[in-house]
Amino acid sequence: MRRELRAEWTKTRTAPGTAWLTAAVVVLTAAASAAVAATVSCPAAGCDQDVPRLGLAGIQAGQAAVAVLAVFAVTGEYGTGMIATTFAAMPHRGRVLAAKAAVLTGLTLAAGTVAVLASVLAARLILPGNGFTAANGHPPLSLADGPTLRAAAGTVLQLALIALLSLGIATAVRDSATAAGVVCGLLYVLPLVPHMAADPGWRRLLWQATPANAGLAVQTTTHLDDLPLGPWEGLGVTAAWAAAALLGAWLLVRTRDVRA
Amino acid sequence: MTDSTTVVTGHGANGRDGFRHLVHAEWTKFRTVRGWVAGMAVGVALVVALGLMSAAGSHASCGMGDVETACTLTTGPGGEAVSDRFFFVHRRLDGDGSITVRVDSMTGQIRLPDATPGVRNVVAGVVPWAKAGIMVKDGVREGASYAAVMVTARHGVRMQHDFTEDVAGGPGGVSPGSPRWLRLTRSGGTLTGYESDDGRRWIVVGTARPARLPATVEAGMFVASPGDLTVSRGNLGGASVQVRFTEATAVFDQVRLEGRVEGRTGGTWSHDDVGVAYEPGGRTPHHPGRFTESGGTFTITGVGDVAPSTEGMRIESTLSGQAAGLVAVMVVAVLFVTAEHRRGLFRTTLLAAPRRGRAFAAKTVVIGAVAFAAGLTAAALTVPLGARILRANGNAVLPVSTFTELRVVAGVAALTAAVAVLALACGALVRRGAAAVTVVAGLVVVPHILATASVLPLGVARWLLRLTPAAGFAVQQSVPEYAQVLGYYSPQGGYYPLPPLAGLAVLCGYAALAAVLAAVRMSRADA
Amino acid sequence: MRAAIEVIGLRKRYGPTVALDGMSFTVLPGRVTGFVGPNGAGKSTTMRVILGLDTADEGSALVGGRPYRSLRAPLCQVGALLDAAALQPSRTARNHLLWLAHSQGLGARRVDEVIEQVGLGAVARRRAGGFSLGMRQRLGIAAALLGDPPVLMLDEPVNGLDPVGIVWIRGLLRSLAAEGRAVLVSSHLMSEMQDMADHLVVAGRGRVVADTSVADLIAAASDGRVTLRTTARPEAMEVLARAGARVAVQDRDTLTVSGLEAGRIVALLGANDVPFSEVAAHRASLEEAYMELSRDAVEFRATTPGDGTATS
Repeated sequence: MRRELRAEWTKTRTAPGTAWLTAAVVVLTAAASAAVAATVSCPAAGCDQDVPRLGLAGIQAGQAAVAVLAVFAVTGEYGTGMIATTFAAMPHRGRVLAAKAAVLTGLTLAAGTVAVLASVLAARLILPGNGFTAANGHPPLSLADGPTLRAAAGTVLQLALIALLSLGIATAVRDSATAAGVVCGLLYVLPLVPHMAADPGWRRLLWQATPANAGLAVQTTTHLDDLPLGPWEGLGVTAAWAAAALLGAWLLVRTRDVRA
Repeated sequence: MTDSTTVVTGHGANGRDGFRHLVHAEWTKFRTVRGWVAGMAVGVALVVALGLMSAAGSHASCGMGDVETACTLTTGPGGEAVSDRFFFVHRRLDGDGSITVRVDSMTGQIRLPDATPGVRNVVAGVVPWAKAGIMVKDGVREGASYAAVMVTARHGVRMQHDFTEDVAGGPGGVSPGSPRWLRLTRSGGTLTGYESDDGRRWIVVGTARPARLPATVEAGMFVASPGDLTVSRGNLGGASVQVRFTEATAVFDQVRLEGRVEGRTGGTWSHDDVGVAYEPGGRTPHHPGRFTESGGTFTITGVGDVAPSTEGMRIESTLSGQAAGLVAVMVVAVLFVTAEHRRGLFRTTLLAAPRRGRAFAAKTVVIGAVAFAAGLTAAALTVPLGARILRANGNAVLPVSTFTELRVVAGVAALTAAVAVLALACGALVRRGAAAVTVVAGLVVVPHILATASVLPLGVARWLLRLTPAAGFAVQQSVPEYAQVLGYYSPQGGYYPLPPLAGLAVLCGYAALAAVLAAVRMSRADA
Repeated sequence: MRAAIEVIGLRKRYGPTVALDGMSFTVLPGRVTGFVGPNGAGKSTTMRVILGLDTADEGSALVGGRPYRSLRAPLCQVGALLDAAALQPSRTARNHLLWLAHSQGLGARRVDEVIEQVGLGAVARRRAGGFSLGMRQRLGIAAALLGDPPVLMLDEPVNGLDPVGIVWIRGLLRSLAAEGRAVLVSSHLMSEMQDMADHLVVAGRGRVVADTSVADLIAAASDGRVTLRTTARPEAMEVLARAGARVAVQDRDTLTVSGLEAGRIVALLGANDVPFSEVAAHRASLEEAYMELSRDAVEFRATTPGDGTATS
């Protein structure tokens, strides 16, 4: 497994897209968070806003870059046919998949941590100017605050899980555009489906089942009782999706002929 | 026009024929890849299936208390849904004539959210669009044609007719000590509204020609007070809007009715609480209006509004699967171009058509046409069928004109085509499938979803729908925003900040820009 | 001598198409084995099955006695070149080899060695996407040599190479075989094998048509025929036929004689005063031998105009 890891790391390190996309994760997340922070305001009478969630809203943009990073990690090889070289050099395909997952997780955790820290910093600097003051009941964002720390750490983990989910999907479908389409559907379109259900029970269930809804429960710090799922349970939903995608990918990659 | 240096392509085909052949070649290329055709079909199927499913799952019933009734909509003379509830003190007027009154005061009360559960929390006050004025109306039937001139609490004097039309007069309301005179004159089919500060110098507020005003109308004083609107944050993100009871009371005097008035001398004023709903049992009116008269002074209390209604589902709410369908279309459009680059087929394409800009233009035409057809199929199936299912399930679906429905369906087709062209161009620019799909989804679908799922503040959401290609979704809005109705006009509620065609134009601008950039890049870069 | 590669009864179908239909052969160390056959004969599929990339429906393929997918450091057992274009274009040549080296527990030094060995030292740090087909082919061979493997397997290695490159690769493969390695080289062009391979496995329609040494194959195809050039064709035919030979007319002054040795023909013609300008023992080219063999095995044969339209 060490060799696979080392090879995949070298491969990831030497692909020029990696640096750009990793930077994009940070920049998109931080910029979108800052943009949201700059546009919300809290009137003097106070407001009912979930400030950590606002400050971390940039994940909506950053997760797209994470997904592309993950998709490229696989489809770049299928697209060129280099996957045959990879599997000829490392015939234990499960280990290759695991190594890819590990490298990607490490990279996303690192990029996600920087992105989240930048977002929190931006929100901490911008929000007080828009009326989110201690006098209004919104002290500046601080990671020393337990729920805020949970939201921040959970956001980093959610990004890593999205990377793994994307990796599994890309390995299963092998085509970059199709994989990106499926992932975008999961991240951006599927969350709407619960709103289409008329029955509140179904709506709740569908909300609990969609990774982009449930996973972001980890960012919530106010009205926790209204959430259909606890913060960590929500993250567990995304984890379950990622695990299922990787399992499916593993089963497919093990048995399937390697086509260029 | 051809000149002597015409580039001969193929067997001496002229330019236009040459392009036709290119388009034909691209079409053959498209239809012979099973995955692409299937992808488009999946896109259509997603829109239709998700739309009809959500329509089928949406049941509604109306009624008060335990009594359920089907939800009915009152429609105005133009066929649109209207709210027509007010207190009307009137007499019958035959032919031309006029009515003049002085409005002396307007007061009212507003129910706020209960501070202690179960205890009504009522404060004195009037909502901005509380109305008191004079009206001529085709009887007292809800939805009947009318024209009226009125004083409002915060929006000055207005002249309104047939629910949707609204003209502003002078600013300012009424208060004890500064009354306002109003006059409405009928001359044939034309009504003219006047206002005056002193009953002597009259200023025309506006004229109106209501759609169906018969010779004999009811003319009189009316008061209405729309519900108070509060918006609060919902649980799963989103906003919840609550409308609370209000009522307004206005005092009128110096009432003068001229013309052939029924029972001119000694005649009495009739009064109707137009559009009042009844408590279960059908006897007691729910939130009734009332009026008293003493010595030519009328004190009238009214509840409700005389205005277009936006309460109900829209035909475009059946397009809930559109985002999913668009993603499928994007994937196909991107593959249509990136597959060539990856497999080296692009060199073959260039050999067959060395003028690269034209080859790309042909591709654009084909993907645009295919996507238009796909969008048209999807919308033409989903919108009418979905609306039918919604109505069959007891939902009140806001009626729109055939023209509007066609505009929505054709607009969705155009939207799909523009998104496909944008995706194709991004594919040609980026040349990497995943990046292109994500970029286009990030430009089109994501802003729309963020804006309409109201995870964002309202201001941000509106700017997203002005500046990003997601502005194109405006083309599917079937019910306009009415300035004279206080509502939560948010993207979440289906109100876009740009008019339908302007929104579509923004999207098309992005698509055209991307296509030009792609064509330039293509003609410069090595294949 | 232990076989380096054993292919035993491979069968595989893709839907209705039979790709492999009982393919069996062995590759021995110390020689270059040519793997030839027309397009679609199953050569590439066989190589992909040997490398564990595709799975056969039946049969097995062993490398050094073990299935490929059980090898710990496979590139140190088998070096393979499948598709030289299968590279991520944005990665440099050296980095491409570097990740492969890391996957086998090898270091950067070995990478630099093979880069020099294949003559890509000057361009090692350039993006492989900008390489010519010949340079990519060399990079692919560098990857195959990376693990210093006892077995090498190359699919169409001379494709896209210029004449200098072809001479280079021929020399390289022969020297690798001379070092005692087993080398399996596939090609659909028999002529390439004439100077490169010692042994041939000829495939057709998913199975082995011939498994023989190059010398034997040529001898079998030559079949003791002699070409005779003479101005007195009728006389020569008569004399030779009387001596029991079979004579075929090739053109106006050329005959093909079989059943008699060249010396005997010269003696007979001399004795009967038949003039002749040339008598040559015919040596079939590998190409001819192969055409003879694969006549039945060719799946896609071009139909010449007029075929089948003469009658009816």
